[in-house]
Amino acid sequence: MPADRGLTGRQPTAVQSALSVLECVASLGAGVTAKEVALALDMPPATAYRLLNLLVGEEYLVRLPDLRGFALGRKVAGLAGAIAPVRVPRAALAVVHALRSQVRAGVHLVVYTATTLRVADVDPDLPLASVELVERHLHASAAGRLLLGAQPEWRDLLPPSRLARLTAATLDRPDGVDAALAAVRTQGWAGQAGEVHEGVACLAVPVRSDGGLLVAGVVVTSARAVVPAEHLAAAQRCVAELVPLLS
Amino acid sequence: MPRSTALRRTSPVAGLHRRRLSFAEVLAQSVSALAPSAAMVTTPGIVLVGSGVATLPAFLAATVLVLLVGWCVSVFARRMAAVGGVYSYTAKGLGPAGALLGGWSLVIGYAAVSMSALTGCALYLAALFGLSGPWIAVLVLLVGGLAGWCTVRGMQLSARVALALEVVSIAVVLVVLTVLVVRADGGPGTAAPVVDGDVRWSGVAIGVVLGVTAFMGFESAGTLGVEAQRPLLAVPRAVLWTPAVAGVLFLAAAAAQVFLLRQAPLEVLMSPVPISALSADIGWISQLLDVGIAASFFACVTGSTNALARVLFSMGREGVLSARLGRTHRRFGTPWTALLVAVPVVLGVPLIALLAGAAPRSVLTGTLTVSAFGYVLAYVLVCLAAPLFLRRIGELTRGPLAGGLLAAGLWTLVLVVAGTGSSWQNGRWLAVVFLAALLPGVLWLAWLRWRRPGRLRDVGVYDEPTVDSVLPGSLAA
Repeated sequence: MPADRGLTGRQPTAVQSALSVLECVASLGAGVTAKEVALALDMPPATAYRLLNLLVGEEYLVRLPDLRGFALGRKVAGLAGAIAPVRVPRAALAVVHALRSQVRAGVHLVVYTATTLRVADVDPDLPLASVELVERHLHASAAGRLLLGAQPEWRDLLPPSRLARLTAATLDRPDGVDAALAAVRTQGWAGQAGEVHEGVACLAVPVRSDGGLLVAGVVVTSARAVVPAEHLAAAQRCVAELVPLLS
Repeated sequence: MPRSTALRRTSPVAGLHRRRLSFAEVLAQSVSALAPSAAMVTTPGIVLVGSGVATLPAFLAATVLVLLVGWCVSVFARRMAAVGGVYSYTAKGLGPAGALLGGWSLVIGYAAVSMSALTGCALYLAALFGLSGPWIAVLVLLVGGLAGWCTVRGMQLSARVALALEVVSIAVVLVVLTVLVVRADGGPGTAAPVVDGDVRWSGVAIGVVLGVTAFMGFESAGTLGVEAQRPLLAVPRAVLWTPAVAGVLFLAAAAAQVFLLRQAPLEVLMSPVPISALSADIGWISQLLDVGIAASFFACVTGSTNALARVLFSMGREGVLSARLGRTHRRFGTPWTALLVAVPVVLGVPLIALLAGAAPRSVLTGTLTVSAFGYVLAYVLVCLAAPLFLRRIGELTRGPLAGGLLAAGLWTLVLVVAGTGSSWQNGRWLAVVFLAALLPGVLWLAWLRWRRPGRLRDVGVYDEPTVDSVLPGSLAA
């Protein structure tokens, strides 16, 4: 479905107005009404209402249950996550380094926002073959599956049409992804073998805040074609140390 | 003013498969419930008899009227992702009483049009295979069972089946019309005086009313608020595109039939499917047409039943009807208990009517007429609800105020013409049938108001945003 119908690149003012509406909701706070937005921006009400509806349709904004108020949507986290530099406390990095010295496998740290994944620290000795593939193809990588598993509906984040087939083993059918995510939720960690690169497997253990929010993940990669489950216990101990440092 | 920004953890309509349907599949819901190809070959002939020269303007007026409703519906669809469609929308503008009146009316509309399409599908399949008599009842049972299975098995499956069937059947009708227009060369036939008949206001009014019935069901994408991807964009788009595209198809089909029927004998014009009668000498064309119409009717059965079940599902979740109707199938994500109630009714009524000796074609037109009353009443109420809803949420501007009132006024006129018009078959008697079907709903509403007002509190549930849909940390819990 074309996302930009009615708001083409030839209408820079419309884009500016839409962004100013988004900014206005962010600064006035959750619960702000359409009329208040129009007033604050000195915009004709009909224009403000149209832009608000458009931003709600695209899920950057959410219309609250009273149907009058607006709040920033989950999708905004994606914007912020892509812009903000990744900062990890030195103490947390030290914990990850300690794990590297214990296991004969690649150990990496990823951090999450509500809708994005960024690789924060790559193992210098056994680096990831491709950071981009891990960050983009969430259905294939173990770290990505943790993020998808934390979504109320993973299809919102990754439309089934974008389930790329990276190797012959990649899960590229929606029901396959459903089953894999159900397994992730029940066992509490994610693993994959040969789905991003042939012959490379990995597992990812989530770091969760007190509220249960997914904030980071410890990824262990192995050059053998099976999920490196022998390192699971070590990774889980590492995560237990990371929880107070990252949440 | 204190504002409620409290969010729930789960949506009140959770359980349906979320965010699965692409825009094409959402569109398929509206298009299939409207059944354009069946209407393209049957409606123009009926309108011609009443409206004569004014046939095309009558179709144009009908399109505009329907687009007005579509616009009012889109006011809601842009703001809330509902499962009860027009019923849930009406609740947000008129409150529980208006919503239940409109909702029950919509239930009658969806149920009756499913029965009509089911009979139609059986009738055209029977014609295709040269069957008649009790075979039609058998076909009703088979087709109804198959359609029911599709609807329980999954919304995506039934949407894809409907999309494929509609594409095929619209293509068939367009091909047949083109072939007939290309080979036509005769002079005026005995039907010409009717086709070029004088314009009488009563005739035009009836023509417009018949024209709008061809569009009914276009609003049913409103029941896919949970199941559609990006529902607040896809649903309003489907609700506006469907009548616009259908309007163009109907105008083209009507123009072709005006041209063709002017050269035809009067018996052809008065036959149920004039196109079929015109093409009787080319065997494959009339068979192809039967296939196309049957396919369109089948898609209409699944589309209307899906919509019907989702309205009942919403009523179940609200507590207006038994909470059992609000259950969803764990694997298929469909409102299967609501379907289990709806499908036997949709199957049973035409089956009993046929077994009792009613002519299949009277069952088809009778249920269609009853459904039209249901839809029109629901449309009047939703148009009235649109400006009230916008006023309640503080977003009323002049456009929707004028549009909503104009639409409600014009559609009230449609209702009056439909209820009092004597020139359509058994119109008054069927209006009584509709009122009789509406009565249980009204009595139930009165009883709830009197004895169980608490059960009306939740009327209008929709897919509310939950804690997970807002930016984490942006809203105090």
